[in-house]
Amino acid sequence: MCRTPLLLLLLLVACTSAAVEPQRPRLTLAWVSKSLGNPVFDHGRDGAIQRARELSASGAYEIELVAAAPASADAVEQTRVLDDLIARRVDGIAVSCNDPIACAEPIDRAVAAGIPVMTWDSDAPESGRFTFLSIDNTAAGREAARLLADAIGGAGKVAIITGVPGGLNLEQRVAGFRAVIADYPAITVVAEVATDEDISKGVRGVEEVMQAHPDLRGWFFAGMWPLIADRGAMPQWEAATRAGQLKTVCFDTLPFQLELLREGYLTALIGQKYWGWGYDSIQILYDTIVHGRAVPTFIDTGIDIVTDKNVEAMIRAWETNDFQRPLPPP
Amino acid sequence: MANRAVIQEVGSTTSRLRQLLNAVVGRQELVILGVLALAALTLSLLSENFFQSTNLLNLARGVSWFAVAALGVSMVILIGGIDLSVGAVMALSGLVCALMLRAGLGLPVAIGAGLLTGTTVGLLNGLLVARFNLQPFIVTLGTMGVARGLALGLTNGAPIRDLPPSFRAIGQYDLPLGPFSLPVSLLIMLCLAGMVALLLERTVLGRYIYALARDEQALLLAGIPTGRIKLIVYALSGLLAGCSGLIMTAWLGVAAPTAADGYELDIIAAAVIGGTSLFGGEGSVPGVVIGTLLMLILRNGMVLLGLPAYWQIGAIGVMILTLVLVDHLRRSRLRGL
Repeated sequence: MCRTPLLLLLLLVACTSAAVEPQRPRLTLAWVSKSLGNPVFDHGRDGAIQRARELSASGAYEIELVAAAPASADAVEQTRVLDDLIARRVDGIAVSCNDPIACAEPIDRAVAAGIPVMTWDSDAPESGRFTFLSIDNTAAGREAARLLADAIGGAGKVAIITGVPGGLNLEQRVAGFRAVIADYPAITVVAEVATDEDISKGVRGVEEVMQAHPDLRGWFFAGMWPLIADRGAMPQWEAATRAGQLKTVCFDTLPFQLELLREGYLTALIGQKYWGWGYDSIQILYDTIVHGRAVPTFIDTGIDIVTDKNVEAMIRAWETNDFQRPLPPP
Repeated sequence: MANRAVIQEVGSTTSRLRQLLNAVVGRQELVILGVLALAALTLSLLSENFFQSTNLLNLARGVSWFAVAALGVSMVILIGGIDLSVGAVMALSGLVCALMLRAGLGLPVAIGAGLLTGTTVGLLNGLLVARFNLQPFIVTLGTMGVARGLALGLTNGAPIRDLPPSFRAIGQYDLPLGPFSLPVSLLIMLCLAGMVALLLERTVLGRYIYALARDEQALLLAGIPTGRIKLIVYALSGLLAGCSGLIMTAWLGVAAPTAADGYELDIIAAAVIGGTSLFGGEGSVPGVVIGTLLMLILRNGMVLLGLPAYWQIGAIGVMILTLVLVDHLRRSRLRGL
């Protein structure tokens, strides 16, 4: 059981290390996500691999990338993964923390061992990490509110879907959303439903709010949970949307969400820079270690706003795995 | 003389009243049916949306699969066991069925494979409990992990979408019945509830199931293979959990490896609210179905009334405690007589 992460690690090292060229100094960078098998993290890993390859090709160092993760999103397993990396004496670590508190200790152990550590997507603010790369969740929530308010003409009832009550990034999204909605006297937030990140609880929550407020004009989904269910699971939401009465703004830009947007079920999507989680993290580690460049303690990745005006470009980005080209304006 | 006659007269009236009261209070089904009626009445007064057909259909589609799983778990509780693996089995069965559908195998094969998956996990539970005399709590905790891990491993964590409409109809379609409509899933649940009720009330096996938790020694002395009964009950719980998982998957139109996470506790709570005793030997099918309905209606009501999300979790907990306490007081009162 204890050895599984190490085994996975070795497996991944074998898969991802670049060809050996002994004449150049080697830099080993580790990129650690919350869990294996999440398509969003796979995507970030691809970005990390690409930047490592580019830097190897152009720079003075041979970059070896170690992409590692616990099998499931578990804080204890992730601690073991990090300790294994410290034992291997890697040169730098970029990690997305399963738990801000549990993550802090191994990060501090790494820093004490002379390994610079940065966090991405999910932070450990109490630790000695030198920077945090993420979207600004509050700002993203504000943007969602503006998009929804525009779509419904600045008036009517709206409701919010969120995940596990207390989750920091979700709370920030909702707070940002509510702050902007408060500026519209004709818009009222009539419900906020917690889904526990569970699909069927999300579906039931959406339908129950539709039942309680048949005149609902807008939804803000702080996460995509209810949408993972296929057509037919939320008949009232679908009917109101098709009638043009209801608009929905949702977080994330996964392919199935883009499809729903293209079919007119969603008004706008707020996307995170999944690819950049890897690509930019490796760049930041490289700059810090090689050039000693100082970076601010928070780096805003910015957000992707996808509407029917640029959805085709985003679909193409997923198809070609090329997320470096900027999106056309929404 | 006259005085005593009057006293006797009064005494017999109160005892008749008490008898009537006891007849009602004596059955937890009737008590929670009363609570259910009260809750429905209150909700319909507070929210004009409660008694609308769309909401009732929504409730029916939501309650069906939940009750199907609760039927199986309540049988396990009747024999003094527990089944914590149901949530994970629901997810795994739905997933296996979805994988088969996506592989292009027909609906009957896919459904058969899904049900077989549930039954297999149930049989494994039964085997470990009956043959090796292991504690059901830890056995089903283990198989819960195995089933959940398989579900995650088979899919790499990603949900399976784009299931054929013929399959989704099981969870989404309503049969037109004149002016009314009847969700297919509700029909399936009622059929299964009827079959489980027949099994428990009208068969020898059913009598043994009720007797097992109280008097396993007596059954053994009478030469009854109690191990085989346990095996059958756990297998049935797995089968019903599989069935529940298929209906849930059809309703959502997606098979997610993380689906139904933690539902086992809600399902056990629903069975207990419905009068199933965790000590075994007591409980009934109508009680379980009403208990499930009560839990979902209260949850539904809180959203309809716009109770803040944070308070809903606590309210459900308070409700479970209250109903179980009522059940306990009712029982001790009956024993006191």
